[in-house]
Amino acid sequence: MTAVLTRRPGLARLRTARSPLHPLCLGLVGLVTAAALLAPWIVPHDPNAVDLGNALAGPSAAHPLGVDAAGRDTLSRLLLGARTSLLGPLGVVLFSTLAGLAIGMAAAWRGGWLDSVLSRSTELVFAFPGMLLAILVVSVHGEGLLAPVIALSLAYLPYVSRLTRSLVLAERARPYVSAYRVQGHSAPQICLRHVLPNIAPVVLAQSAINFGYALMDLAGLSFLGLGVPALTPDWGRMVFDGQTAVQHGYPLSAVLPCVFIVLTVVAFNVVGERWADRVARRDR
Amino acid sequence: MTPTRTPHALDVQGLRVTLPGTARPVLDGVDLHVAAGETVALVGESGSGKSLTSRGALGLLPPGATVAGRIRVRGHDVLAMKPEQLRALRTDTVAMIFQDPRAALNPMRRIGDFLVESVTLTRTMNRADATARAGELLQAVGLDASALRAYPGQVSGGMLQRVMIAAALMGDPELLLADEPTTALDVTTQAEVVALLAELRARFRTGLLFVTHDLDLAAAISDRVYVMYAGRIAESGPAEALFARPRHPYTAALLASTPRLEAPGGRLAAIGGHPPDLRRELTGCPFAARCPLATELCERQAPEQRTAPGLPDHRAACHHTDRLEGSPVDA
Amino acid sequence: MPDNALEAVGLHRAFGSVPAVDDVSFVLPEGGSLGIVGESGSGKTTTARIVVGLERADAGEVRVRGRARATGGGGRAGRLARAREVQMVFQDPYLSLDPRTSVEQVLRETLRLHFPGTDHDRRVRELLDQVGLGTRAADARPRQLSGGQRQRVAIARALAVEPAVLVLDEAVAALDVSVQAQILNLLADIREQTRIGYLFITHDLGVVRRVTDDVIVMRRGRVVEAGRTSEVLAAPGHPYTRLLLESVPRPGWDPAAIAAARRAL
Repeated sequence: MTAVLTRRPGLARLRTARSPLHPLCLGLVGLVTAAALLAPWIVPHDPNAVDLGNALAGPSAAHPLGVDAAGRDTLSRLLLGARTSLLGPLGVVLFSTLAGLAIGMAAAWRGGWLDSVLSRSTELVFAFPGMLLAILVVSVHGEGLLAPVIALSLAYLPYVSRLTRSLVLAERARPYVSAYRVQGHSAPQICLRHVLPNIAPVVLAQSAINFGYALMDLAGLSFLGLGVPALTPDWGRMVFDGQTAVQHGYPLSAVLPCVFIVLTVVAFNVVGERWADRVARRDR
Repeated sequence: MTPTRTPHALDVQGLRVTLPGTARPVLDGVDLHVAAGETVALVGESGSGKSLTSRGALGLLPPGATVAGRIRVRGHDVLAMKPEQLRALRTDTVAMIFQDPRAALNPMRRIGDFLVESVTLTRTMNRADATARAGELLQAVGLDASALRAYPGQVSGGMLQRVMIAAALMGDPELLLADEPTTALDVTTQAEVVALLAELRARFRTGLLFVTHDLDLAAAISDRVYVMYAGRIAESGPAEALFARPRHPYTAALLASTPRLEAPGGRLAAIGGHPPDLRRELTGCPFAARCPLATELCERQAPEQRTAPGLPDHRAACHHTDRLEGSPVDA
Repeated sequence: MPDNALEAVGLHRAFGSVPAVDDVSFVLPEGGSLGIVGESGSGKTTTARIVVGLERADAGEVRVRGRARATGGGGRAGRLARAREVQMVFQDPYLSLDPRTSVEQVLRETLRLHFPGTDHDRRVRELLDQVGLGTRAADARPRQLSGGQRQRVAIARALAVEPAVLVLDEAVAALDVSVQAQILNLLADIREQTRIGYLFITHDLGVVRRVTDDVIVMRRGRVVEAGRTSEVLAAPGHPYTRLLLESVPRPGWDPAAIAAARRAL
């Protein structure tokens, strides 16, 4: 199987073979996920408790990572922010993977006019910048996480559907698929029971990489003040809120979420790529 | 070997190759030689080690392999060669033809470029000379010089295999290793390729090691034959003698299980069981488990090569080679 | 007149302007074995694919037990009925099984589809036994099996449907000689037991001689010779059949003469 995953230019150079990078990234993914899951129970402070008297204080025993311009505890906001920051991309990846699989599979299996229509329309989406689409949808729909998630899902769908289409085309040419057809199995049965499990690992690897990119895009949107409601803790939003603090010489509350965004994106990228590598090697 | 005689094109002695993660060597004491201008067939089933043996002559052994024994090409020790010497060996002295010519060719490059590239890259010939020679060789293999400008996708499999033979002859090799060169071809095309190889061998006095799984083909084309089983030479000898009177039960069984045009109908004498597993150690004769002549001795002790009476070249590694005639495997 | 197991009448199939199958007709009697011999590009594989329904014919008809074989439609019932007419064993045992499905699952899938509500345990054991695989192989994945074992699984899978005709497309070509003999013997035994009809697609005349009663020789999409296998091989009528026979390597074989004859033809 010679599936090529789509990666963005800067990250494509990250080589994962034979380096301690992979276990490190896997650990980071696990840590961030755990933080997001457990956040409500482990946060030391109410993330929205404003304490203007204590604004921009440095790290202390009570606030290990300091507080922001409004006196809110940075650690608590980072932990709870992990929830929104991961939930959004999760929605994007879920929707784009499911829809992409369905569309790519239908296009490859049926071929003919259906393939043309589906392939052209996904290319159309490809040609339209995802962020622009998201901004457009949010400005029409208003505040809320749902609108940017749906917009980005659409933007990421072509990555998955194009990959699925090429994988299914290759898989379909294998004699075992012909064998099942001769046996009297219906096309949907063969697709779901045999083709899908065989191509799933590669598609999921692409989705893991997409997860990182979607996280970056959503953080960008909330930095612009689009999407996430004002009071909800979110990494992108925190960077935006921290701007003034940076100008005042207290960079911690803005730099930390930045670091987390970058590390998480890289971690998902490395894990996804490594996964795809392993699938390719194991393949028969 | 006395120094006055010209060395063999290929001389393999006691070659033993062990791969990581296996319990027994994949090649276990292989002795084999190809004289200049001689055609030798190396016959075996998949996993017997026949391809590994022929690749060894090019110094191409799998990574991580532990190698003992000696491989000499025209008297030069291949295993002791430095990388640049190996490269020189592969371009000047030894050439190889593979089973699937399409896999060995870049579909985006013209056939002419492929032929010329191998010799110009090592600067043994300039481009004009190389192109002239390529045209000449293409004619020798029965193709038009216009094929130089064609892409691999534009010609048939049989023609491509002839291109591969021409490419192999570009450097005037003294030894040609052909690894199942006709397996992917139709029977009539196979005849053409074999005829071509025979003609070129006579003309250029190239030693030819022909690796194949097809016993009948081996019998038809070669001077001498080696039969391999589970990494060892089971039997070797002049083609005619070996096929008329096999001295190893494996050779006899293989001959009996080949469906032929002349043989009577009815059931084929299939060999039961499977070749021994690489993950298990092997104490006695590797064929013992499938052999109708096997005794307790075969399980215990690996047989030595024994010479047939009156035929010093015909050897078989079998304890019971004398009992073979008239036995159930002797068809 | 008893019905023939399989009958092809005037099959045509062209890819673009190139005729791959050109007016091919043949008859396979009930319980018989018919070989289709030819080299690459002769149209033998396309013919086989038309018979099993993986390819459609531009013209002509395939009849199984006297009934015209539908090319599609009929929903689930039609699909299953077509599957019970003709089954197929493919050339490459390494690619014709889903790498993720174990031997037992492969058979159960087929039995569930075609014979729901019967005793599958017993039938799986029977099938494994019939193709000479122990019950130990039942849990194995294809990658754990040798080429010969995989081809046995493929045969068991085809037999599970209980078809009238089994198409074997170069089914022993990828196997070692000793394994090939085992499979050929197995196929002969199965035909004796079940009276299933074989359509044997091959390039190997030695194989044809062993397993077929009748043979047709194809070249460039057309049938150049047809008849009883023993008669065709003993006294070939068409120069191409003669060339094919002479091309089979044997002691005293003259490849140069064959090459010349091939160019002359």
